[in-house]
Amino acid sequence: MSIEPTMNLFVKKTGGWVASQLEACTRCGMCAEACPYYLATGKAEYAPIWKVEPLRRAYEQRFTLIGKLKVALGVEKALTDADLKAWSKVDFEACSVCGKCSGACPMGIEISSLIATVRAGITAAGLAPAGLVEKTEMQMKCGSPNGMCEDEYIKWFDSLEEKTGVKAPLDVKGADMLVVYTSLEIKDKRHNLYDLAKILNAAGIKWTISMDARDAFNMGSIIGNPKVQKELAGKILNTAKKLGVKQILVTECGHGFTTLRDAVPNVFGEELPFFVTHIAELLPNLIKEGKIKVKEGYFKNGHTYTFHDSCKIQRQGGIMDEPRYALKLLAGDTFKEMDSIRENGLCCGGGGGIRSIPEANENRLAAFKLKLAEVEKVGADVVVSTCDNCQLQLKDGFKHYNKAVEVKGLIEMVAEAMI
Amino acid sequence: MPDETIYQSMKNKGVSRRDFLKLSGLFAMALGFTKAPPFEESGLPTSLEFSPKVAEPIVRAMETKPRLPVIWLEFQDCTGCSEALTRSNSPTLSSLVLNTLTIEYHETLSAAAGFQVEEAKQQAMKKYAGQYILVVEGSIPVGEEALYCVIGGRTGEEILKEAAAGAAAIIAVGNCSSFGGLPKAKPNPTNAKGVWEIITDKPIINISGCPAIPEAITGVIAHYALFGTLPELDGLHRPKTFYGVTVHDRCLRRPFYEAGKFALSFDDEGAKKGYCLYKLGCKGPTTYNSCATIKWDAGLSFPIQSGHPCLGCSEPNFWDGGGFYQGQSAPLERPEVTAVGAAVAAGVVLGAGMAVANSNQKKAAEALKGGSK
Amino acid sequence: MNTQTMLELARGPIFYGALLFFIAGMLYRLVTVISLGWNKDLAKPRGDKATGVVKSFLRGGIIFPFFPREKAAYARNPIVYIAGGLFHLSLFIVVILGAAHMLVWKSLIGFGWPTLPLPIVDWMAAVGIIAMVALIVNRMVHPVMKLLTGVAEVLNWLFVFLPMITGYMMTHHMFLPYENLFVLHMMSINVLLVWIPLSRISHFMFYFFSRTIHGVEWGKRNAMP
Ligand code: SF4
Ligand code: SF4
Ligand code: SF4
Repeated sequence: MSIEPTMNLFVKKTGGWVASQLEACTRCGMCAEACPYYLATGKAEYAPIWKVEPLRRAYEQRFTLIGKLKVALGVEKALTDADLKAWSKVDFEACSVCGKCSGACPMGIEISSLIATVRAGITAAGLAPAGLVEKTEMQMKCGSPNGMCEDEYIKWFDSLEEKTGVKAPLDVKGADMLVVYTSLEIKDKRHNLYDLAKILNAAGIKWTISMDARDAFNMGSIIGNPKVQKELAGKILNTAKKLGVKQILVTECGHGFTTLRDAVPNVFGEELPFFVTHIAELLPNLIKEGKIKVKEGYFKNGHTYTFHDSCKIQRQGGIMDEPRYALKLLAGDTFKEMDSIRENGLCCGGGGGIRSIPEANENRLAAFKLKLAEVEKVGADVVVSTCDNCQLQLKDGFKHYNKAVEVKGLIEMVAEAMI
Repeated sequence: MPDETIYQSMKNKGVSRRDFLKLSGLFAMALGFTKAPPFEESGLPTSLEFSPKVAEPIVRAMETKPRLPVIWLEFQDCTGCSEALTRSNSPTLSSLVLNTLTIEYHETLSAAAGFQVEEAKQQAMKKYAGQYILVVEGSIPVGEEALYCVIGGRTGEEILKEAAAGAAAIIAVGNCSSFGGLPKAKPNPTNAKGVWEIITDKPIINISGCPAIPEAITGVIAHYALFGTLPELDGLHRPKTFYGVTVHDRCLRRPFYEAGKFALSFDDEGAKKGYCLYKLGCKGPTTYNSCATIKWDAGLSFPIQSGHPCLGCSEPNFWDGGGFYQGQSAPLERPEVTAVGAAVAAGVVLGAGMAVANSNQKKAAEALKGGSK
Repeated sequence: MNTQTMLELARGPIFYGALLFFIAGMLYRLVTVISLGWNKDLAKPRGDKATGVVKSFLRGGIIFPFFPREKAAYARNPIVYIAGGLFHLSLFIVVILGAAHMLVWKSLIGFGWPTLPLPIVDWMAAVGIIAMVALIVNRMVHPVMKLLTGVAEVLNWLFVFLPMITGYMMTHHMFLPYENLFVLHMMSINVLLVWIPLSRISHFMFYFFSRTIHGVEWGKRNAMP
């Protein structure tokens, strides 16, 4: 393996946006105090900015006189394969690209975006964790990283009719909204399809699903492979264009949502002819606009609810007020806020593909403990989330630590409370 | 008649014993003798009040020491130091030095002129070779530029070297003879130098200042006359008695400095209230001199007391030490617009060069199809 | 060479040269970074970028040092933001509102402004010095900061500390004659001026980039508190 592909990627990715932020860092270490993986393990090399080190070195050594001088004087070594190997363990196994660090940095550096670039560099060198590589290959092969290939989807979509009596609206040209599920839902939350259909139909939305855009999951974004990312996102983009929809609704996927909304326009170099939204945004808005009716206080039933802010949907997606509006309506004062919320929310520990890396299990569960502490502090026995990956991680974590805390998705709650 | 003692010569001039003792006391004080051993042993309280005991060594010295011949040369000067000395309002001291200690030669003060006085100087130099004190006022142009100062057909450099050869010690009076003074200010057209830059084999005392404080001149001459030794000197060959602390250290406006109360112009409220003159360019903090203690005109006032910032006239190159009214902390030079422009251009050009190299790198990376996109 | 000549050099040509080097160096850095190219963001904004930028600077400039929003994170390494904040505050007060320094600005840019009384400036300077000591100690013991600290970081600290300590000694006439301290103070400034473009102390320039980017990114998503 040679370092060249990585270097090329870094060189290509390093514009003024990256460079000015790398230059701004004062090495103050504040970002570490925000990172769940550093906090959970106390390992200094998990400090967010340290995860960016390969990119910084590449940038300085390739683009600045000072960097070249440093190498010439032997103060700093040129970036090597061995470095990338070491950093692969740090950037993939101890980072969910949650972006909390970016909010804590006194200089306002978008550290998590830079980490994503480093991950891409590591992937370019073929040093990404095996678990992720496997999932990526799987998704390229069958459309879903979880092995939920086409026939599974056909079965799932078909089941809609027998469950609700409504036929699945497959590839409806001229529909308003293309709904894109994730293969996590088909695996573990099959009712989402039925629940959402109930909500959308009640709201009178003309929606459609498509076999060509069946999974919002994008392993290219997770692992940092621009080619894969473009190909997978391109399928959804083209389907939406072909069907002429005005909106894409991503159900419970976090990174799939931000990939479509924020990355795709720049990857394809065009402004999207449609609007990308997420159920966390759509459902509360439907309630607010009176398109669907829910029973107020439906979930005031002796439980204490709290809301888990997902990194991609809330902090990076900006959808923070809407789910809270819905929860306050549904659970009233039994809805309580944790300490770290909204843009400051604490990662569940399972984002960024870390759940697909067995080597990272320890880190993942350690990071979850921080979340657990906040949940316990607020005394909640139901945690609501709008991201299915978070929900899996939360369930997993509560089980691991033997906690009787229930995890709920927003779709099911709204569907249940609908009148 | 230099062979008589100082006391004798004074007696001849009608000074009474009583006045003589008074004078001795004055000397003692001028020379900083309040802490002299005889005084401390006497067990008297250390007050500035005159005590005959303090003057004892002075009295003894005056009664036994012969008069001291002094030759006073002027070069590129304004005679300001001589003027200050003669106009000084402590006439007892200065007239004593001028009249009683023999000033054998002084161009401005001597009644005679021309060849006559030149002749007298030559005689004195011969007669007191190795004994006389050479006082120099004014800077001396050297090398080719020595021609800028020619007296009686000879260059100042020549005259100085000749006179210095037979001197027991040299006292450079004023900033010009000490450090070059005004004539040496940039661009120093006459290649002017201070004495110590020309004469290196004689003891030299610099009594810098523009002009030098008369009490400092007389004090030093008297010290040498009475004890035959030079007073203790600092790194710039200035007597520590008079140049031991900065003007700032003894300045009467110092409390205002500490309180951050400054006059911002010469006619503002601050100036009227006597606030510190730092922002008007006062150089007191780096200027070693005794203006703030001895003051001028018999202790009447000194520049800062009268509302003008210290110019730093007792320090080398004070003419080039930034504007007189420019704050002392300010850098001496303000970069020329052209120099700043050049720096800006250099930075931009270097950056642009780097930019070209970098964009080439990017293009090369873009051209390589691999790993990504 | 006597002190006066050294002082003249330190306040004159050397300062002049250092200042020009500083200007050229910072421009080089600026041009290099800017010329790396900027991509236009084509994603539809969910919130207002301009509001985000304004908030970003408010947050970074005023709120962060003393009223950190990321309370939990800041509480874990309070020295960085307390001492760091105090250091910067002290720096601004001393360098801009100290009488001696104002005169430097005045001579460079042609106009001056009112200054604070010496005792206030002096106390702030002392606070700054103490903060600096706290910062370096913290840097040496905190595991993350230790990892992030190389020779350059130690030099950054040193070259900023020297002017502070010599300046303080100067106002108090400590240990050495005033004009010797003046020389040391000026020389340490000159070293600092040369060092800034070569080091991360230049963060004061890139701060405006990173804070703007932060504002744009978070404002665009409407995720700016
Ligand atoms: S993105 Fe999140 S997990 Fe990754 S370094 Fe930053 S704070 Fe840590
Ligand atoms: S918090 Fe920001 S400035 Fe500090 S070390 Fe991390 S990235 Fe650098
Ligand atoms: S007037 Fe000058 S010497 Fe007096 S205190 Fe102010 S700065 Fe110092």
